[in-house]
Amino acid sequence: MRESEVMAMEEAREAVGDYDLGWHDPEHSTIRFDSGLSEEVVRKISAIKNEPEWMTEIRVKAYHHFVNRPMPGFGDREALEGIKFDEVCYYLRSSDATEKDWDDVPDDIRNTFDRLGIPEAEQKWLSGVTAQYESEAVYHSIREDLEAQGVIFLDMDSGLREYPDLVKEYFCSVIPYQDNKFSALNTAVWSGGSFIYVPKGIKVEMPVQAYFRINAKNMGQFERTLIIADEGSSIHYVEGCTAPTYSTDSLHSAVVELIALDGAHIRYSTIQNWSANVYNLVTKRGIAHKDASIEWIDGNIGSKLTMKYPSVILKGEGSHAEVISIAYAGKGQHQDAGAKVHHLASNTTSKILSKSISKDGGRGSYRGMVTVSPKAENCKLNVVCDALILDDESQTDTYPTMEVANASARCEHEASVSKVSDDQVFYLMSRGHSEEEALAMIVNGFFEPFTRELPMEYAVELNKLMALEMEGSIG
Amino acid sequence: MSASEEAYLSLEEPPRSDHLWRYTPWKRVHPTGNPNEIPDGISTPEISLSMINGEEASDISLEMGNTISIPFEGSLVSNSFLSAITNGKAIRITIPENWRKETPLILDIKPTGGLDAVHIHVETGKFSEATILTRIQGSSEWLGILRTGHTGVGSFLQDVFVNKASDGNLMRVDALKLGRDSSVTAGTVSAGSAWTKADIRYLLDAPGSNLNVLGSLLSADQMHLDHHIEISHLAPNTYSRLAWHTACGGNSTSVGTGMLRIEKGARQADAGQLFHNLLLSEKAKANSIPELEVEENDVVGCGHGTANGPVDESQRFYLMARGLSGEEAEDALVAAFLNSTLSQMGNDDVHAWLIDAVEDALIGLNI
Repeated sequence: MRESEVMAMEEAREAVGDYDLGWHDPEHSTIRFDSGLSEEVVRKISAIKNEPEWMTEIRVKAYHHFVNRPMPGFGDREALEGIKFDEVCYYLRSSDATEKDWDDVPDDIRNTFDRLGIPEAEQKWLSGVTAQYESEAVYHSIREDLEAQGVIFLDMDSGLREYPDLVKEYFCSVIPYQDNKFSALNTAVWSGGSFIYVPKGIKVEMPVQAYFRINAKNMGQFERTLIIADEGSSIHYVEGCTAPTYSTDSLHSAVVELIALDGAHIRYSTIQNWSANVYNLVTKRGIAHKDASIEWIDGNIGSKLTMKYPSVILKGEGSHAEVISIAYAGKGQHQDAGAKVHHLASNTTSKILSKSISKDGGRGSYRGMVTVSPKAENCKLNVVCDALILDDESQTDTYPTMEVANASARCEHEASVSKVSDDQVFYLMSRGHSEEEALAMIVNGFFEPFTRELPMEYAVELNKLMALEMEGSIG
Repeated sequence: MSASEEAYLSLEEPPRSDHLWRYTPWKRVHPTGNPNEIPDGISTPEISLSMINGEEASDISLEMGNTISIPFEGSLVSNSFLSAITNGKAIRITIPENWRKETPLILDIKPTGGLDAVHIHVETGKFSEATILTRIQGSSEWLGILRTGHTGVGSFLQDVFVNKASDGNLMRVDALKLGRDSSVTAGTVSAGSAWTKADIRYLLDAPGSNLNVLGSLLSADQMHLDHHIEISHLAPNTYSRLAWHTACGGNSTSVGTGMLRIEKGARQADAGQLFHNLLLSEKAKANSIPELEVEENDVVGCGHGTANGPVDESQRFYLMARGLSGEEAEDALVAAFLNSTLSQMGNDDVHAWLIDAVEDALIGLNI
């Protein structure tokens, strides 16, 4: 390897490491619940947050639904059965307040976010930031000009306190707690997350970002995000997630609801890089009204088991959905990711592009569903899934479902599985690259349709991360 | 109670989360609708074997009453149910070693009109070449067909299944194991039965085997066609293709679920599946789940695709500009769509026979 490339690799390792995000700070808590879940725990969370009665009620109902609902009948059932719900801590508050100035955030926690580069990114290219540590947001800010235009960007708890009517109108409207076992769990014990409202016609040019960090052992993080884009508005929301590496498992089970009203545009980008001891079981869904557009840009690099299928309900005529996702399944990882789009209205369009790489015994699965309802005329949808298997220990699966009940629909699905072509490696090596570099370049090229949709800073980090993941792939 | 009956009754009803039963639950497939029952009075349909030219198949015969087990694991419920109602007995067709005839064999199955079931087992000898056209015609309340078999080393088999049953429910289970360097073309032509549930499986566990699966199906009126095709590559240098064309009209529902599995060790496997649905009416529905599981990284390639859509307007316009009415143009395009797979099921004689066999059925259907 050339000297410059060695330096680039070292620089990349410094940034992301061999899961360099796996360090942890001493646990810092002002409130920590004992492990285990009960109705009492649910009521206590609600009481600590001083929530309105209706929210407590919905939490309790959701808790009972969670208890009675069996585990999903699909996916990696063995891994799911390994979740020890009784050993999870369902609420841990690290700081008594959500600060607006990084200097007011407790030192340990501020150092963590400094190491993750969040304050620096905020200064350079973000419209607003929420930083969540364990169960609560510890820092939150939004650019003043956006606030003046009426854009609301709060952590979810503050959103509920300050805009209870708006939250009540939309909370659970896209993902009811009965949707699945993990949406019920989240509704019962949710804490933190983001609440965003973009007024009519306002276009938020620079992205807003939320960063979720789990620090404590056996922690459960259950953030709840609700984004409402009013008519003709637009917003790009970016989220990142990391956690320390422990020998015991943590649980992350978020719910994200998006509402794009007439002509609005929401883009939701995620780079999930949890450590390999985190179960990542997330429900994400948006409703697109007339001529609205929802895009999920979804990167899954970390976690032990991810089950995540970002969805869009195309409710209004002329609405559009796009889901572009990548998954990297390394040693001991199962990335069970996919997408769902339901065409309920006429002249709606959707595009799903999924790319996955399996390596070192990892398993990448695409699980998707697209439906066209009988009344939805002239819909168009396209689904493409590509998978690369890099060694003989790994596995890839594709489980797509397509249900079409309108004759005017044009629907296409294609999937392919391949290995890295020897010709491509040979070509790059004949131009002076080592085999390992060639492989890293091919992998980055494979993910390029995804990375080009990310803000540049994220794309650069992702390319470095993938280059590191490819280290040691040869021989 | 026989061992096979006991085996079936000990099983639980399969859940609908299993894709095989998602759109057509087992309860709906079972002849009485009560999964805990093995009905009495199951008859064997009338079966005959001849050559396509009407001559007797002199050196090939139907050997009755053989005890034959299903060659590899499939759906426990449907396999054990069909084994139970056929009393574990099969009709065996053996193609001798080096037997090569271009003239196809026709296996005619005529149901009694009540509840019928039969197990047919085909074995092809080394380096043989045979074409078997299985045709179902007549009226049936419920017909269960279990077709098993394996192909000998280096043999060629063209196996075409034609369903022209005028009504009733068809439950079909196929389990075919391909021998080393053998080649199978497996066609399904369906324009009959009100309900069809087919579970069709192929096992490529010997090196060099080659499989081409073709479907040419028309669903119309209130028909419900549910075909599950599962192809498992276990051995190196195996090849499979699937092209499944369904034209969906009337108020019908068509379901095509596929599982393409490349097991570890199936190096240099080359596999592809395509499901095409042509939607012809407002109320027709088409559902597809083409699944893929790959555990081997050293593959030539494997992939699948699905496409659903209406008749192409530019093609219809082209034909109408040449004097065809709108209806004639659509009929021609539907026929061409179905023929693109039908024409690959055999030689010209087979193609002509297939067109002749299904033409009247197509005309009678309300699409």
